[in-house]
Amino acid sequence: MTAAEKTKEIFQPKIVTFLCNWCSYGAADLAGVSRMAYPPNIRVIRIPCTGRMSPKFILEAFRQGADGVWVSGCHPGDCHYIAGNYFARRKFTLFHDLLSYVGLEPGRLHFSWISSAEGEKFARVATEVVEAVRAVGPSDRFAKERIEVA
Amino acid sequence: MDKRTEKIREIAKRLLSEGRVDVVLGYGPGTVPLRNAPLFARTPEEADRLVWDSNCRVNLANFLPRTSERVAVVAKGCDARNVVGHIVEHQIKRDQVYIIGVPCQGMLDPEEVKKREGRAIESAVESNGDLTVKGPGFETTMKLGDLLRQNCLTCIHRNPPVYDELVIEPVPEQTGLDRYADIRELLGRPDGERYAYFKELVKDCIRCYACRDACPLCYCHVCFVDEHMPQWLGKSIDPHDVLTYHLLRAFHCAGRCTDCGACEAACPVHIKVRQFTRMLEKDIQDRYGYEAGMSLDKLPPLSVYRPDDPQEFIK
Amino acid sequence: MADMILKKKALADFLRSLGRSYQVFGPKQEGGEVRFGPADGEVLLDYQNSRLSPKEFFFPQSERMFEFNADPKAEDAFLLKERPANLRPRLLFGIRPCDAKAFAVLDKIYGNDQYTDTYWFDKREATTLIGLACNRPCATCFCTSVGCGPFHEEGLDVLAVDLGEDVLLRPLTDKGEKALEAAGDLAKAGKKAAASAKALKTEAESSITSRVDMDKVNERTVMELFEADHWAKVAQRCLNCGVCTYVCPTCHCFDIQDEVSGQIGDRVRNWDSCMSWLFTQHGTGHNPRPDKTSRVRQRFMHKFKYIPLKRGGDIGCVGCGRCVVQCPVNIDVRDVVRDMNA
Repeated sequence: MTAAEKTKEIFQPKIVTFLCNWCSYGAADLAGVSRMAYPPNIRVIRIPCTGRMSPKFILEAFRQGADGVWVSGCHPGDCHYIAGNYFARRKFTLFHDLLSYVGLEPGRLHFSWISSAEGEKFARVATEVVEAVRAVGPSDRFAKERIEVA
Repeated sequence: MDKRTEKIREIAKRLLSEGRVDVVLGYGPGTVPLRNAPLFARTPEEADRLVWDSNCRVNLANFLPRTSERVAVVAKGCDARNVVGHIVEHQIKRDQVYIIGVPCQGMLDPEEVKKREGRAIESAVESNGDLTVKGPGFETTMKLGDLLRQNCLTCIHRNPPVYDELVIEPVPEQTGLDRYADIRELLGRPDGERYAYFKELVKDCIRCYACRDACPLCYCHVCFVDEHMPQWLGKSIDPHDVLTYHLLRAFHCAGRCTDCGACEAACPVHIKVRQFTRMLEKDIQDRYGYEAGMSLDKLPPLSVYRPDDPQEFIK
Repeated sequence: MADMILKKKALADFLRSLGRSYQVFGPKQEGGEVRFGPADGEVLLDYQNSRLSPKEFFFPQSERMFEFNADPKAEDAFLLKERPANLRPRLLFGIRPCDAKAFAVLDKIYGNDQYTDTYWFDKREATTLIGLACNRPCATCFCTSVGCGPFHEEGLDVLAVDLGEDVLLRPLTDKGEKALEAAGDLAKAGKKAAASAKALKTEAESSITSRVDMDKVNERTVMELFEADHWAKVAQRCLNCGVCTYVCPTCHCFDIQDEVSGQIGDRVRNWDSCMSWLFTQHGTGHNPRPDKTSRVRQRFMHKFKYIPLKRGGDIGCVGCGRCVVQCPVNIDVRDVVRDMNA
């Protein structure tokens, strides 16, 4: 590859995305059938509710090499299971603060509330997330490729 | 003899001879200097060996979950808050536990003693705020106040908030302390530096899990480190796995940790694991105004919610 | 080869000249503790013992056994590849006789008529041990009760004794002789030095006040000891962490696991502890040691009864006292053995 070709090569981040079944996954579907364009870098995992999210999933995604993680669910007050996202909100707040404290670069971990009617918001936030992660660059701090022992 | 020792023995003997409890959980003398051992007294004779001094670092609330006995537990401020936590989390019933509350003025850090007196210590005696250590050919006296653990220096709950009986009058609480100066300083550094700091902090970890096993909060039947379908982290001393372990354990303690320091006291390689939990403690105070274990009527912050909880980072 | 002698102030040069033929390791001060590390001349002589045992030199806490690639298109598909081991000759200076005796015991466990653990023995063969006799045993040492002692020679290639201004060097094996010859420039020790060393040995041995008797433990049957009623009491305060097993120079259990990332992977061996419930958990869900008491009992029975029975009398404990110092709840092995022997 020539130097010119190299500079044209753009980093394509891998972003593991957890979407709650009832709202945000629906929003993704709506964005799709409405033919809204957004970068293809998100890899979606459907969960029943953001209340199902565990910090273990976020760490596992980074460990396996994800450059970014995005979690999205119903707006507070609209959770299909009434209060799942309320509990999740507290977990997200603390875990986001903890990961940032131990050196996760800002721009890698994202959260949003997107309802199933907000296809346009989904496409917009997806684009924001992808560009934010792209700007940070490839992940290395919390990724584990091979065991590091003598 | 410390007044507290006398009173603890008196209460223990009374409770046991009256049949109020099956066992009194307190501290007994250790077999090495500067160390006490948990003592399970089941008879008034055994209760006569209970002691109280500045080496009562083990958190006895650790032994409560899943016991079917009626237990009296000797608990300093932080430990008593963990007993409250256990009751709130349904690990023990309120009427099953008799809290012998001990207003505490801080526990020793043997590493501080070693820093000041590096020679091999053969005996250590406390008296009137002084610690006298003796070894082959030397005797050194130091002020107890200079030797306290970090968490004791910043303690604002020396008196148990919930108890059945106090062994002495409450002691004055420390005020005007800046408990999180070092956390704020860390938060002010660039993220790359913080990452390097934490990698360095845990580099000596030997995955013995003493921190977890000494912690009263860690009582899960199957700890996340032992989960295998899927397995969340490796079992080696690979730096990523070590950091993952400490991060997840600290997070599991969020909103429940009383900064008792049992984790740091148990660690054989002296890792300052409280650097993880204290940041969460500060965050929870700032965001949710909650302090663990202060009341039997309050649930931990991750078990409740408010419709207007902070969410400034959520899109 | 006779005993040799070295001026203490020439020790640093002695180690440096050894450094021409060996990778030299010795005790270094790290913060408040002593640890074995690369000895570029300066080592501690005036210390009691390291916080962690030096078993990690032969039994690293985490070790890659081999790697593999399951991608059929790869050149090395399905080949188990060992990373070339760093088997440059090594020299460990300044370990204590208890730790050396522990290696001798572990040699019998890692190698017997059924199998030979090459990961252990490759490192053992490549390493020469120059031990440092203990002039000042710790208050927690009880080595003389378990077939060892402050001047014990088993497991060492050379025994060094700190005589004050001089260091006596006693070669005990061919490897030891080779090392002393490689260092060169040593004088033969005279009768005075030998007598001095002998006096120090007597003094050190008599200064050990911790004793445990094992006569009844040796006489009693396994079942008598197993069914004794003191085990529940010992186990009451045990946290079932892994500190005792990890600081112990004779504990040797491990877990093997494959760590796979996509198609490539490593087979890894890690220290494991019998204190963990997972240690004996069967795939069926059954656990022969489901409770704390049975696990605590297992550890002491293994060290003080099963190993002597299976390994011709060697005890699975060398009396170094590290577990006594480090146990977070002060479970004292000396008290446990006294209970077993009561």
